[in-house]
Amino acid sequence: MITISSSNGLEITIPHDRTHLASMKSLDGTKLRRCLQCGKCSAGCPMCSFMEHPPNRTIRLLQLKNVEQVLADRSIWYCASCQTCSTRCPRGVGPAAVMDALRQLWWQRQGRSEEKVVQLANRLFLDNIRRFGRQHELRLGTLFNLKSGQLLKDAALAPKLLAKGKLKLRQAKTRNISEVARIFARVEQLRQEGGSR
Amino acid sequence: MTGVREALIYGYYPGCSLHASAKEYDLSTRALFEALGIGLTEVPDWICCGATPAHTVDELLSLSLCAKNLAIAETVPGDLAVPCASCFSRLKTAQHELTVDLARRNTVARVIESPVPLAKNIKHPLEIVGRDWGLEPLTAAVKKPLAGLKVACYYGCLLTRPPEVSQLDDAEAPTIMEQVIEAAGAETVSWSHRLECCGASFTLPRPGVVVKLTAEILAAAKDAGADCLTVGCPLCQGNLDLRQQEVEAQSGVRYDLPVLYFTQLLGLALGLAPARLGLSGLMVDPLPLLKLKGLL
Repeated sequence: MITISSSNGLEITIPHDRTHLASMKSLDGTKLRRCLQCGKCSAGCPMCSFMEHPPNRTIRLLQLKNVEQVLADRSIWYCASCQTCSTRCPRGVGPAAVMDALRQLWWQRQGRSEEKVVQLANRLFLDNIRRFGRQHELRLGTLFNLKSGQLLKDAALAPKLLAKGKLKLRQAKTRNISEVARIFARVEQLRQEGGSR
Repeated sequence: MTGVREALIYGYYPGCSLHASAKEYDLSTRALFEALGIGLTEVPDWICCGATPAHTVDELLSLSLCAKNLAIAETVPGDLAVPCASCFSRLKTAQHELTVDLARRNTVARVIESPVPLAKNIKHPLEIVGRDWGLEPLTAAVKKPLAGLKVACYYGCLLTRPPEVSQLDDAEAPTIMEQVIEAAGAETVSWSHRLECCGASFTLPRPGVVVKLTAEILAAAKDAGADCLTVGCPLCQGNLDLRQQEVEAQSGVRYDLPVLYFTQLLGLALGLAPARLGLSGLMVDPLPLLKLKGLL
């Protein structure tokens, strides 16, 4: 277990290793303690209706050191990263950055979470970049449907996109694909060494 | 116009969408810039910025992909033009983060095996046309004013937020898009949802989210009396246009609102042919509306 104490007195205790510590530092940096529950973040959040814990409650749970409860719930995966909350927060807490830090923490631990679909999409999206250097929309959509077991999801859109020439059947690799692969490899290596921060 | 304008030249980072599902944004940006005499040089071998999936789960990867692009962009002259709001936001965020966090910058430099250049100005085409080129010369260059066309300008989230990163305009009450569209002779409507998020990052995993959010945006634009929407982001355009039929089927309301890139509307006002602007690439056909208003 590791306890992180921030300069403003907030302590968060998490089950441990160096990579978790790395991520929690960015949580600490967002000055969670400053939140006084005005609720402005949740009032302006377009995704609030999809969340069990809206942004202000997530911040409160973190103040109460309920990190595990927040990570296990799917709410953090329903943040659209639209930055409305961080733009409007009168206390500079930056809930959008908190959501990112929580998701990164989860990603490193791959622990229990009720949300699998968004994570599958993220994984396939990043895998395409590693393979091609750029996004390959057709491959992304097809693999997502196959792996999520929703074979006919958006099937009606594909012919329309193809007819308009909006779906490339093939994505050429960028000429610097070996450099891209090295970026992915080094990021992974740093994570394993606990130095990705 | 008096005097000789200094030639404007920019590097160009189109991003993945503009090479595929949003190719008409690429076409119309190039056509518009050419018509205005603005030079564009595409950054060679640019790579994906990582978009939302990278920054939500792996900050170092997100920063590194963007930093790699900033390094490659040093090989082309001029400020960097970035039409996709997501790429624009990611590249600017990386620049911002790595400027204030030296330790992070050193780590990223190790990852990309080169120093991270942070000096290049990253600009959205809205500010290039509206500020660098200028509204007055733009008004003067208009050959076919978009008279009688009521346009709902839709900013979405990342063009203006967070303001310390984007620095495009006021985050709560931006006007740059309205100014540019009005310079083209169109009328802009005052409406409620121009800064609401369309849920772009959920278009693959949770399309139901997108349908709900875009339904609200389309309804608000329609209520405000708009004939069409205009956008400066391929993800907003994709959601509002491509999923409009789905929204109509679910809500039982017919919107029939074409969603044009602002570059397409400006191109029309400058007298460019629809084919050069990729108008046929849009799902909700804008031609009947443009003909009805006598603009084609």
